[in-house]
Amino acid sequence: MSEQVNNNPNPAKVDTRKTEINKGIILFNKLGIWVIVVALVVMGMIIAMVNGGSFFGASNVQSILEAVALQGMVCSGLIYVVYAGNMNDMSIPLTMAMAGMMTVQSINLGFPIALAIGLLSGVCIGLINGFMIGKLKANPIIWTWGFNLLLSGIIRVVWGGKQLYADSVAADTEYAQNAANTFYSISRTYIGGVISLMAIVMLVLFAISWFIHSKTSFGQKLKLVGTSYEAARFSGINCTKVVTMSYVLCSTAAAVGGIFYAALRKTASYENGTGYDFSCLTCVLLGGTLLGGGQGSVVGTLGGVLAYGILNNILSWIGLGTYTKYAVQGVVFLAIVWINTYSERKLGKG
Amino acid sequence: MKRKSLAILLSAVMVVAGCLAGCGSSGDDSTPAQTQEQEQKSEPAAEGGDEAEAPAEGGGSNLDESLALFDEAVATLMTTDGHPMLAPGVTFDVPAAEGTAEELEALDDSDSAKWHFYEYLDWDESQDAEFPASPADGCKGKHVIMIVHGAHAWTTCFSEAFEQACEAVGMTCDIYDPNWDQSTQDGYIDQAINEQPDAIGVIPVSADHAAQQFKKITDAGIPAFCVNTTVNADAMNYVMAFTGPNDWYQMRTLADSLGEAMNGEGGVAYITHNVGGSPYYARCYGPLTELAEKYPNIKTLDIQSPGFEAAAVKQVVADWITKHGDDLKAIVLADDSDQAIGTVEAIKAANRSDILVVAAGISKQGAELVESGDLYMMSYQSCQGDAGLAVRTMAEYFNGVDISRVSYIGTDVINKDNVADFTPCQW
Repeated sequence: MSEQVNNNPNPAKVDTRKTEINKGIILFNKLGIWVIVVALVVMGMIIAMVNGGSFFGASNVQSILEAVALQGMVCSGLIYVVYAGNMNDMSIPLTMAMAGMMTVQSINLGFPIALAIGLLSGVCIGLINGFMIGKLKANPIIWTWGFNLLLSGIIRVVWGGKQLYADSVAADTEYAQNAANTFYSISRTYIGGVISLMAIVMLVLFAISWFIHSKTSFGQKLKLVGTSYEAARFSGINCTKVVTMSYVLCSTAAAVGGIFYAALRKTASYENGTGYDFSCLTCVLLGGTLLGGGQGSVVGTLGGVLAYGILNNILSWIGLGTYTKYAVQGVVFLAIVWINTYSERKLGKG
Repeated sequence: MKRKSLAILLSAVMVVAGCLAGCGSSGDDSTPAQTQEQEQKSEPAAEGGDEAEAPAEGGGSNLDESLALFDEAVATLMTTDGHPMLAPGVTFDVPAAEGTAEELEALDDSDSAKWHFYEYLDWDESQDAEFPASPADGCKGKHVIMIVHGAHAWTTCFSEAFEQACEAVGMTCDIYDPNWDQSTQDGYIDQAINEQPDAIGVIPVSADHAAQQFKKITDAGIPAFCVNTTVNADAMNYVMAFTGPNDWYQMRTLADSLGEAMNGEGGVAYITHNVGGSPYYARCYGPLTELAEKYPNIKTLDIQSPGFEAAAVKQVVADWITKHGDDLKAIVLADDSDQAIGTVEAIKAANRSDILVVAAGISKQGAELVESGDLYMMSYQSCQGDAGLAVRTMAEYFNGVDISRVSYIGTDVINKDNVADFTPCQW
């Protein structure tokens, strides 16, 4: 029987694997997308300076905030759906369209009532989505995508595929015409002549969203549902209620966005909101929320929204063509998502 | 045992029912082309009554009735903004190309010669397919199928006008909407061919794909009409006639007026239509080349394609204003609704009322912006007139009248002074 010879000069095994975690990774993991936002701001300042302009000029800041205001409004609600582990709400485009249509259609009742009806349509859509996905366990993507189609069909049949103009729908009375004008003005109002009402509404929605997410029992339950649905269920949490609530919040936020959208383009139409399902999901993911749910933050989502707007702004300053812009946006977004994933993995979170 | 018997009984009932249903459906569905053709052909007779059954020389009384209907429709049918819906088309002489397509492609973007094959439907007529001859028996009772490109408020307006115009000249129509999907449109082409209508009109989803679509229709012996969207030159070999707007001409006309208003100086930026489509080239490079040729001191500052979302356009324009400052004197838009709203909002936010904005029109939003002076000018492109010209051309074909292979709807430049003549807007 041959004897095995140990040639290792150091009999005790030494683990030489690198255990030190790069400080940059830790920093990025703590600050998340805001590191990118700051980097983009610095880059924007340099590029603006080279071009003889000012990045922090009132008009430029206004431009960035306004450009992302509608997306931001929707994202403030979409984060709940993603956080709950339901990936995306594909019915966002037609929720926005429906809210606009309902608001314009009921403009004769006065602006506040029309606004309430528009918002109510969002709440109803959220309830239906929540019931089907939370209670009946429908696949969230397939259901919301199918529901989006259904809503599209309903709008086209009911309004004959036409656009609705508030001033045309409004009766020939001063009250109705004022309501129509008020409706149009909400996307054109500047508080103090500088900050647009749309941007303020977006920030307010994010503040409310942050409060719900961080300071309420619903927010705590949502974290558990998103992290582990089964564990949450066995802990006695009414998961159906939590999921339903997440869809109601999402659709209500989408309805707010839809009403402002219709007011901005002065017409309600079934095509309002097209593409918002994916562009908003991009912002939510950029903000560090995981597609599988259970991780992310409202503040991070706001960062994702701002990063989206600032990047567009910088690319316009540089003067890139449309195709190049798309390519650069794609590369930057992929890089952000990769850094997010990498830092999570390094810290053993992912 | 009872269950087994019941199962056998049920199966037998289902088989018999299936056979009966099958027979029934084969009777109904056995609408092979010939059967349907017979049905279609019998329609004029049925609608035309006794007179249609005994056609006189040269098409007979159905033709006479058709001509009378046609004349009445041309005289009375109006668009919602008060213009004749069935106005005759406009034709243009095609100048000779200054080189082959490959040679022209190498020219500078600001050279109008580069865009010759984009601007003109300049195809090799010697390669034309054999088109079905006109029946010359009148448009009354003819059935046509119109395959549009996709759902949009414009398309709704177009479809309604098309139906209205068909009814006015005694034709019937079906309209299929593939919702912007190429393969669905291809499917509708096959379906339409199987239904053997008297003519098929198509607004192609893609200009590049159109040649195959029109070849199929023409090969099936059905006259094919291309509507609204121009196609590649090779597709025209299979198109009986093209009708639609002359985007290049109307944008050049608009650019002429803009250059004059700018006194031939300053910078212009362009917001385009969807990249790659015919309006993209026409509405960007039409005015760009016109200004470069007639006003060499006017510079192109930037060309961007942010799409049709007002907020996205607003950001691009706001960024232009910040970046180019006073150099930015004018903006040319491919659309007078969302793009115009975004642009005007950005200009207002920056207090730059000196920037002139022109756009391809005409929507309600655009008309209101012209009325308020926020939009300096826009072109007139009648949606209902587009549908009307398509119906007119088809009707003339059925009536045995010689039709132009290419005819365009009329255009105009709309400004604050004459905008009232073009309202209420069509869609």
